[in-house]
Amino acid sequence: METDQATDGVATAPQDADWHHLPARGAKLAALGSAMGFAIPIAVAMVALTLVTRVGSPWLLAPLGALIGAAFGAWIGVKRHRRTLWKLDEDGFALQRGRWWQTESRVPISRVQHLDLKRGPIERGLRLATLVIHTAGTRMAAVTVAGMDGTDAERLRDRLARQLDHDDDAL
Amino acid sequence: MMDPVPETLPLVERRLHPWSWLFVLLQQVRQFLVPLVALLVFGGGGRDSFWNGVGPLVAVGVLVAYSVMQYFTYRYRVGSDGLSIRDGWLHRTLREIPYSRIHNVVLHQSLLHRVFGVAEVRLESAGGQKPEAQMRVLRLDEALALETLVKHRGRSVLVDAGTPAADSLLSLPTTEVVRLGLVSNRGMIVMVAAFGAAWQVFPDRVMANFIEDFSRQLFGYASHLQLGWASTAVASIALVLLGLALLRVLSVALALVQYHGFRLSEEQRRLTVQRGLLSKLRTSVARRRIQAWTLHEGVLHRLMKRRSLRIDTAVAEQQGQEGQRALKELAPIATPEACDALIQRLLPQAQWPRAQWTSLPAQAWWRLFLPSALVMVIVTGALLIYFGSTWGLLPLLWLPWSAYASRQHARRAAYTVDECVIAIRGGWWSRHWRFAEIDKLQALRLVRSPLDQRLGTASLWMDTAGASGLSPPLQIRFLPAADAQALYRQLSRALAHRRLRW
Repeated sequence: METDQATDGVATAPQDADWHHLPARGAKLAALGSAMGFAIPIAVAMVALTLVTRVGSPWLLAPLGALIGAAFGAWIGVKRHRRTLWKLDEDGFALQRGRWWQTESRVPISRVQHLDLKRGPIERGLRLATLVIHTAGTRMAAVTVAGMDGTDAERLRDRLARQLDHDDDAL
Repeated sequence: MMDPVPETLPLVERRLHPWSWLFVLLQQVRQFLVPLVALLVFGGGGRDSFWNGVGPLVAVGVLVAYSVMQYFTYRYRVGSDGLSIRDGWLHRTLREIPYSRIHNVVLHQSLLHRVFGVAEVRLESAGGQKPEAQMRVLRLDEALALETLVKHRGRSVLVDAGTPAADSLLSLPTTEVVRLGLVSNRGMIVMVAAFGAAWQVFPDRVMANFIEDFSRQLFGYASHLQLGWASTAVASIALVLLGLALLRVLSVALALVQYHGFRLSEEQRRLTVQRGLLSKLRTSVARRRIQAWTLHEGVLHRLMKRRSLRIDTAVAEQQGQEGQRALKELAPIATPEACDALIQRLLPQAQWPRAQWTSLPAQAWWRLFLPSALVMVIVTGALLIYFGSTWGLLPLLWLPWSAYASRQHARRAAYTVDECVIAIRGGWWSRHWRFAEIDKLQALRLVRSPLDQRLGTASLWMDTAGASGLSPPLQIRFLPAADAQALYRQLSRALAHRRLRW
């Protein structure tokens, strides 16, 4: 039985003041990553399809498939990037993803085990960073936020790591 | 040649048992044994026969030298709040292991260990792939003393005249262990694993030839008998039944070997399980290290009016040793009442068995049915195109059954939550109850698929440490969105204000 039936804001409002968007300059990087992720499997599938059905030439259809896959992937990547929001409040860290398939993950500050801050060469050029928050869980053992603003990510890391220092019983 | 270890001086460095090199060697050899034998038997002859003979000898020599050296370089010291272990010769390591970090203590005695009066001790912490320390091997009384020391976190003196009486919570008589063998599929798993291993280790043609010869003989014998259609059917059914019966017998035998003398006891808020017929295993875990609980009741369980109670601990399982070492089973098999009593005793705040469950809305059954229906329709379509005859419609017969099963699943799925514990239940033929203390939750996730958004529902996932992939996930599906949001907020607030205690 639920104790508090808080029915306010059932529809998660992304325009909430607490929620932060990822910086727009990371959209291209997200698009690139997603485009690669779609283009290669589709090209491979096209080759297999042409070989099995013997319709069309793999030399023609594979690049075409890759191109279409890349375009679709880029579109999805930009959409996803735009729909990824994070927030840090007194309860902990929260991450919202997707419009079509919505997920909202929450890692309470008291459950953070350790943090990784990663910066690839392209991310460094764009002053972006990837923050990985590890918990002791199994299925959600790591929550990854790619394409975060570099200073935001550092601030978050410091904020979440401070809790670890307070928790003297952590080990 | 027993090493006179001064038991009263805690700061003295100690060594392993003088025979420990033998066990290290055996462990090393065992890893290479099957390939070595296979090489000697099947790979013999030819131009390299000299190296085939000498190679294994050289390898064994190197292993012996390594094992003896390990005995001379491995020292451990028992401190007031932790163990320190020093080992290595050229590459030296020093490990400090605080007692508070040790989640699980395992004492393992194989038949050979028992002959020498020694035991292997493993100290395990949360996570990681390897145990914190693996002492192969200690004299049995030293091993037991080390175990008590870790149990009391080094506070008490080593030599305790008679350990305080432990409360026995559950012990399995032989009839129960036989029941356990009957409900389990151990035999099948072992057969499949042995078959796979044989196929990998022996050269391809050996196994293939063996199976070919065997089946040819069998078919030759059968055709020689000149049986009719009906008697052939009866014979094959009898053969299958015989195979199943043999697998059950094997399961029972394995259960007897592994679970003979199973006893669960509690001492100072620490649970200890000991079991085993030939090789004895004693493993213990602190009560507060338990991360989640699973109560399971399969069809055979229900026929015998039994259930099983398993726990998750944060100790990582080594690959291929699933369920062998760490304390995972509080009650491998017990009556439902005994399981409930165990839970009441060990987790009083759970108020088990719960009477109040919030069940799934009855109309949600088709959401469970939908995935299998979609798969069936696709399969049917593919078959229709491929065969081009109405026989391709045959898989659609599965749909009514699937719908019925989904209804039954939806009828039984439910959850309950209060300040301390969250519990879910599910299943139909094979039923499960899974629950965890709210303090032990690690992360939350709210998921809304497109269908969820249209129907105003949501699913809530909760993550705990040490959950195995086989146990049912701790998730509440198809909740009304408002309820899901409220529960999600309530839990995240509760988690934020409670420290992780494990």
